[in-house]
Amino acid sequence: MKKRHVEEAVARILMLLSFGLLAGSLGLILLTVVVKGAPALTLAMLTQVPQGGYYLGKGGGILNAIVGSLYLAGGGTAVALLLSLPIALYLGSYTRRRSRWALVVRLALDVLWGIPSIVYGAFGFTIMIALGMRASLLGGILVLALLELPIMVRAMDEVIRMVPAALGQAALALGATRLENALHIVTRQTLPGLATAVLLAFGRGIGDAASVLFTAGYTDRIPTSLLQPAASLPLAVFFQLGTPFPEVQQRGYAAALVLTVLVLAVSLGSRWLAARLGRYAVK
Amino acid sequence: MDAHIQVQELSVAYGANPALKDICLEIPRRQITVIIGPSGCGKTTLLKSFNRFLELIDGVRLCGQVLLDGVDIYGPAMDATEIRKRVGLLAQHPYPLPMSIYDNVAYGLRIHDIGRQDADARVRRCLEIAGLWSEVKDRLRAPATGLSLGQQQRLCLARGLAVEPEVLLGDEPTSALDPLSARHIEQRLLELKQSYTIVLVTHILRQARRLADYVVFMYMGELVEHGPAREVFDHPREELTRDYLAGAI
Repeated sequence: MKKRHVEEAVARILMLLSFGLLAGSLGLILLTVVVKGAPALTLAMLTQVPQGGYYLGKGGGILNAIVGSLYLAGGGTAVALLLSLPIALYLGSYTRRRSRWALVVRLALDVLWGIPSIVYGAFGFTIMIALGMRASLLGGILVLALLELPIMVRAMDEVIRMVPAALGQAALALGATRLENALHIVTRQTLPGLATAVLLAFGRGIGDAASVLFTAGYTDRIPTSLLQPAASLPLAVFFQLGTPFPEVQQRGYAAALVLTVLVLAVSLGSRWLAARLGRYAVK
Repeated sequence: MDAHIQVQELSVAYGANPALKDICLEIPRRQITVIIGPSGCGKTTLLKSFNRFLELIDGVRLCGQVLLDGVDIYGPAMDATEIRKRVGLLAQHPYPLPMSIYDNVAYGLRIHDIGRQDADARVRRCLEIAGLWSEVKDRLRAPATGLSLGQQQRLCLARGLAVEPEVLLGDEPTSALDPLSARHIEQRLLELKQSYTIVLVTHILRQARRLADYVVFMYMGELVEHGPAREVFDHPREELTRDYLAGAI
């Protein structure tokens, strides 16, 4: 066999090995969560809030954490979207290709992306103390928005940068303004990518424990106002796995299963949405 | 000559590289003017100075005047979007907007707020003029990207006509198309010159001969010769023009 053919075969095997390792890890994680969590996953887990003695093994469920997580990540994603889309459109449609300013903004976003979420949590906590706020849904939403923002903007920025320059010029040639071009053409063309960016950020937000630990707190009730504390699934997993009682630990895995299914659903949903929204996109 | 566009002492540079040097030119109304010349001679730069597209490029410097009906389009009170509404552009490669066939044509109407009541009729008329109506009338809501390249270019023509321009610019509008689709576009342009001033850039001499009423020959950023097509093609005054027409440069 020729040397080049050996190279080809070795490269192929290495790639398959890497993929196998990755797929195996995902499979093992899912298997662990399902095997350990499924037995404890009762209807009561999904539909009830913790009752007295829940953390010692008595009745109730984690509805507080499910709803709390959806509130937190939903709110955080909404706030992040409101800020991200203008930033991404500005970077993509208003700055010149080699603009120094855009370079600085992108660098800042990359640095923000790399900051650990516990630092966001501590930062949010400091500000909340300075403002005299207590741990609350609002605090959690704002810190999650901050955590999600760089992910969302950079993901949007990447897809917006893929828009062919000639496509943008097509609208300008008709006499469209830059804003009309950005809102009507660029967003439509990149809609699948924008949806993916939003759901990617949502997935990051709903799975994060450290940023909501101080800022949203934890409670056994479902919050009815923005100023009340809110529970979240990652913290539900953390607290329950930390107890010495096997049945409570098992509920921790059940909570992890719920979280995983939620993230999986969001990720599959984003695929489906992207395929649907891409119908009109120019290739 | 009834000049629709007058170019006065126009010079353009990309950074330190001059692209157009001191161009003076008049473009006749309701005729097809074809700009010819070897690659890199400034044909497209000249064309894009007519709809203020040059300012979209980094580091462009422009001096001189381009008058549209006697008014400088680079004047301080002029709005680039208004100029681009009056001076349409058919690009080299057709890029439909990411919308349905219908919306591609209706988009211009919407942004300029024209024809609220009779949008359907306007869309139909533009598609008819572009010679596309019979092919798309049963799938107006389908994505424009489903059309063939030739159909897409005719859609771009219809889209440009919808905003009621006075001038149509074409930047090698048939170069991405197969010969049949190219003929189709040429035919439309010949019909359209009854009502529009058309300026085309092409590197296909035979196409220039087929379409041109008026010819502009450029070389290395300079205007070498311009005049009625028959004069320039049959009796070129300049040595360079003769060489180019003979295929020597």
